[in-house]
Amino acid sequence: MQDRSEFLKAIAGDDIEARFEAWRAAASQDSSVVAPLLDLAASPKPGVAKAAAEALTTMVHSVGKDPIDPRRAPLVKALLLRPKPLTFRLLSLIADDLHAPLIAHNLRSADLREEVVYCLERIPGTAADKALIAGYADATNDFKPRILAALGHRKSADALPLCLEAMKSTNPDIAWAATRAFGRIGKQAAVRFPQLDAWNEWQKTDVLDAQLRYADAQAAGGNSEEAMNIYKQFLDRPEEHWQCAAIVGIGKIATAEAATAIYPKLKNPNRKVQITARQIWQQLARA
Amino acid sequence: MSKRFLKTRRDFVSTGAAATLFHIVPSHCLGLQGQTPPSDIINFGHIGIGGRGRGFLRPDANLNQPGPAAPNLGGDGSRMQRPVRSLALCDVDLKRLDDAASRVGGKPRLYKDFRKLLADKDVDAVVIASPDHWHALMTILACQAGKDVYCEKPACNTIEEGRAMVTAAERYARVVQIGSQGRSQMAAFHAKNYIRNGQLGNIGKVLCWHYASPDGDWTPDEPAPPEIDYELWLGPARAMPYNKKHTHGQFRWLIDFGGGQIRDRGAHVMSIANWIMDCDAKGPVSIDASGDPPRDGMYDSAVTMHVTYEFKDPDWTLVWAQPGETSKELDARYGAVYHGDKGKLTVTLGDGQATATEQKAKDYKASIDGVKVFQSPGHMENFEDCIRTREKPIMHMEAGHRVASLCVLGNVAFQLRRKLEWDWKTERVVNDDEANRLLSRPGRGPWSL
Repeated sequence: MQDRSEFLKAIAGDDIEARFEAWRAAASQDSSVVAPLLDLAASPKPGVAKAAAEALTTMVHSVGKDPIDPRRAPLVKALLLRPKPLTFRLLSLIADDLHAPLIAHNLRSADLREEVVYCLERIPGTAADKALIAGYADATNDFKPRILAALGHRKSADALPLCLEAMKSTNPDIAWAATRAFGRIGKQAAVRFPQLDAWNEWQKTDVLDAQLRYADAQAAGGNSEEAMNIYKQFLDRPEEHWQCAAIVGIGKIATAEAATAIYPKLKNPNRKVQITARQIWQQLARA
Repeated sequence: MSKRFLKTRRDFVSTGAAATLFHIVPSHCLGLQGQTPPSDIINFGHIGIGGRGRGFLRPDANLNQPGPAAPNLGGDGSRMQRPVRSLALCDVDLKRLDDAASRVGGKPRLYKDFRKLLADKDVDAVVIASPDHWHALMTILACQAGKDVYCEKPACNTIEEGRAMVTAAERYARVVQIGSQGRSQMAAFHAKNYIRNGQLGNIGKVLCWHYASPDGDWTPDEPAPPEIDYELWLGPARAMPYNKKHTHGQFRWLIDFGGGQIRDRGAHVMSIANWIMDCDAKGPVSIDASGDPPRDGMYDSAVTMHVTYEFKDPDWTLVWAQPGETSKELDARYGAVYHGDKGKLTVTLGDGQATATEQKAKDYKASIDGVKVFQSPGHMENFEDCIRTREKPIMHMEAGHRVASLCVLGNVAFQLRRKLEWDWKTERVVNDDEANRLLSRPGRGPWSL
């Protein structure tokens, strides 16, 4: 194990091999080196900055496996004291419920907020959901879609009321992001999916996809009635791929009603729809 | 041919309305005068048309005179190309876009933003040859838009991305082919035919070798050239200043964008291994890695690495050695040796260059009741066939995801410097909090799964 001062001297030095040896062995250092390493990670000498960042990463990896590793809490605490983009990258790997509110505090920083959301998005547990939801209230409109995306990606059940409210927004980007998140969360709610003229083609497609994801989640959760209602709407759409998606979704329900819904598509003039219907029909027959 | 005509022609034919209006359809639209009927033409949209993507472009002039399949995409050379039009081109680099348009000829539709290409209703299928960090989102959004997809390898940069791609392909019943074209090479067919018919006995080990990666240097960051929309190039990846040494042709040496040799060539060599070993729907139970990252310089992917994957039921070991012991039978920069209890066999390369195997495998003929191995007509041709039949191609999305999983997990074990116990059914690492967090990657800005 290298002495603390020798370690920092090696990281800050010009000898590439000494720097490499030091950062590869950084797991043996304690959290007191975090602050000086974060300073060195901003060095104008790129080799020094790299070695410092790699040393911090090595320390994080060394405590990352076990959430109750005794070295983990002091390391997280030391990182939290120095909010920088690199800090949040590292915290995304080892911070937990306890730290989520403290991390979310930095959502107010325009320079850090993207990294903060990245970090919170990766932290398991509901505290990160709650921190993101709390941060949403203070976020500027241009950043609210990013927070909604994080909540949708996390399938946060706690975010359902927020999504339902945001789906009514007149801001098309917020309404789009909220609908997208709602579909990913997949929890049942009495809701009509919004359709905004202001959405571009991509957003409109994304919202239809969100409806299918919602229907898939309902079907998987045993709520086949809700799922069938949505799939049937897609069966009637003119575009073949939405019909195919509905057929695939209905196929997972595997009831007589499902078979009845698919049957007319077996002779659909569109080849893709017809073949998909036949494949699912055979699947149902086997089931 | 006008956009309006192209837009309606396919629907017109598919609904049967053509029969009632037969007398007004020009003869060339019906395939007379030696021309291909438009309804037989597959309209491709190309996303990413730099180095690799350029090779997929189909000159407009060749539409009615298809040549043989591209040799680097496999097959036995007997197959002629299907009529495919490079209808739409997309790149964030306007110089590349311009160059591709010249190569294609005619009047291809040009896009900088791939979302606009995906919204083009005349595009049937897309070829994605963007940097790796874009593969997942582009594939998923293409499926949502109803396009079939040929996506370059590696399929994805994280386990979560790969699973999301599989789900999207299934949800929309789309044909997705991942560009590990080694499977479509005759050498891979001969090797699988030989091995699956028991000529090596039970395979206990597959040793892959590859040369080391570059260390990199400290090329300074600079403003992005005006022809490149760098923000769109970055997309879901971590924001960092533009640098020509991590963009075109160089992106793969950073984990955020590429992932080193194991995710590049590994996605070829290990694709053939997974295919031969019938592991397209399963994975290893453990991954152990060692090696050295770059000591200095801007890159962060492994310079040298040795990864061992253990599989169960049947038990066998896959090794990625960078560098590693080369084959004594066949000389090549990279490849794999399959070790069985009755002998061994070398298959070199796998990316469609001079992929080769030993003469004994080439000479082998399976008995009539032996194991039947699918022989691909060529990787792109197999994709085009499946667009018609709606069957799964040889390197379908689940297979692509499973191969990319090997590459991703190798890198995760390398980064963490510890052995991972992998539950391939749930796709989670056993008892490793940090490793599980590394199986996904949050997006950035408007780009997320």
